[in-house]
Amino acid sequence: MSLGLIALIALMTYASRALALVAMPHPPERLRVVLDRIPAPLFASLAALSLVEGGGPAQAATLCAAAGALALTPTRSLLYVLAGGLAGYVVGDFLFG
Amino acid sequence: MSLKRALITAASPALAITVFGVIYGSLARSELGFGATLLSSLFIFSGSVQFTIAGLAVAGAGAGALIVGALTLNLRNLLLGAVLRPRLEGGRRRRAVLAWFLTDESTGLALTGDGEAGRTLLISGTMFYLAWQLGTVLGLIGASLEGVVDLARATFPVLFIGLAALACPTLGIAVRALGAALMTIAVIAAAPELSAVAAVAAAVVVSLPGRSA
Repeated sequence: MSLGLIALIALMTYASRALALVAMPHPPERLRVVLDRIPAPLFASLAALSLVEGGGPAQAATLCAAAGALALTPTRSLLYVLAGGLAGYVVGDFLFG
Repeated sequence: MSLKRALITAASPALAITVFGVIYGSLARSELGFGATLLSSLFIFSGSVQFTIAGLAVAGAGAGALIVGALTLNLRNLLLGAVLRPRLEGGRRRRAVLAWFLTDESTGLALTGDGEAGRTLLISGTMFYLAWQLGTVLGLIGASLEGVVDLARATFPVLFIGLAALACPTLGIAVRALGAALMTIAVIAAAPELSAVAAVAAAVVVSLPGRSA
C-alpha cells in the first residue's frame, strides 16, 4: 500500500470526524431533539454489532460478559457495568471456555 | 468528569485497544510493511478502517475498494460528530483539534460523562490514541497477546452496553435503543455485507419518529 493511499485514507477519516464538529452550526431545535435521542440507540446498535459481527454470534464468554453488563445497567455506573461484564466473562469462560 | 475519574473510566477500553493494536501491528506488518503500518496507525487512528483496508489489501483489492471501504466505515463519524457538536464548547480551532480524537468509545464517554464533553473527549481520546500506537508498535516488534484477545473482544460490547444505559434518560429512549439493537441484528442476519452501516442506519431510523423522547 502506497504512502499516498494511506495519506488519502487518513485525510478522509479526519474529514469525517471534523465535518460535523467543525462545520456544522448549532442545530435547530427540531434537529436537536432527534440528535439527543441518537446516542443510546447508537451505542445499543454498536453493542449488537460487536455481538454478531462476522455473521454469527460471539463466543459464549462474550455473550455472558454482555449479560453481566446488562444485569448491572440499573446502577447507571459505567464502572459497575464494566465490572459486571468482567464477572460475566469469567463465569462464561469457566462454564463454556 | 474529573481527570482521575475520566482516566479510570477510559482505562479498560484503552487496554482492549492496546490488545487490538498488537493484533493490527502483527497482521499488517507482513502486508503493508513496518513503516506503512506505523504511519497508518499514527495518521488514520481508526481500528475498524485500518483492519478493513489491511484485510482488503491482503485479499488483493485495489485502491478504489480500499477507499470505498474507508468511506463507508467513516459514515459513522459524521453521526457521532453531529450528536456531539451541540455539547462542545469553544471555537472552531478547538473543535478541529478535538475531532482528531473522535472515536466510538471516546465519543460515548464524552456524551455520558458528567463533565464538559470536550474535555472528556480529549482525555479519553488521547489515552486511546496512545494505546493504539503502543499496541501497533508492540505488534510490529513481534509481541503476541493471544491469551487475552477474547477478553479484549468482550470489552467492546460491554462498554457499549454501559454507554447505552447511561445515555437512556427515559423509558422511551430505552425502548428506541432496544429497537435499534434488534434492527441491527436483523439487518446483519439478512445482509452481513451491510454491517458497516447497519448500526448507524438503525440508530437514525429509531430516533426519527415522534416529537418527544
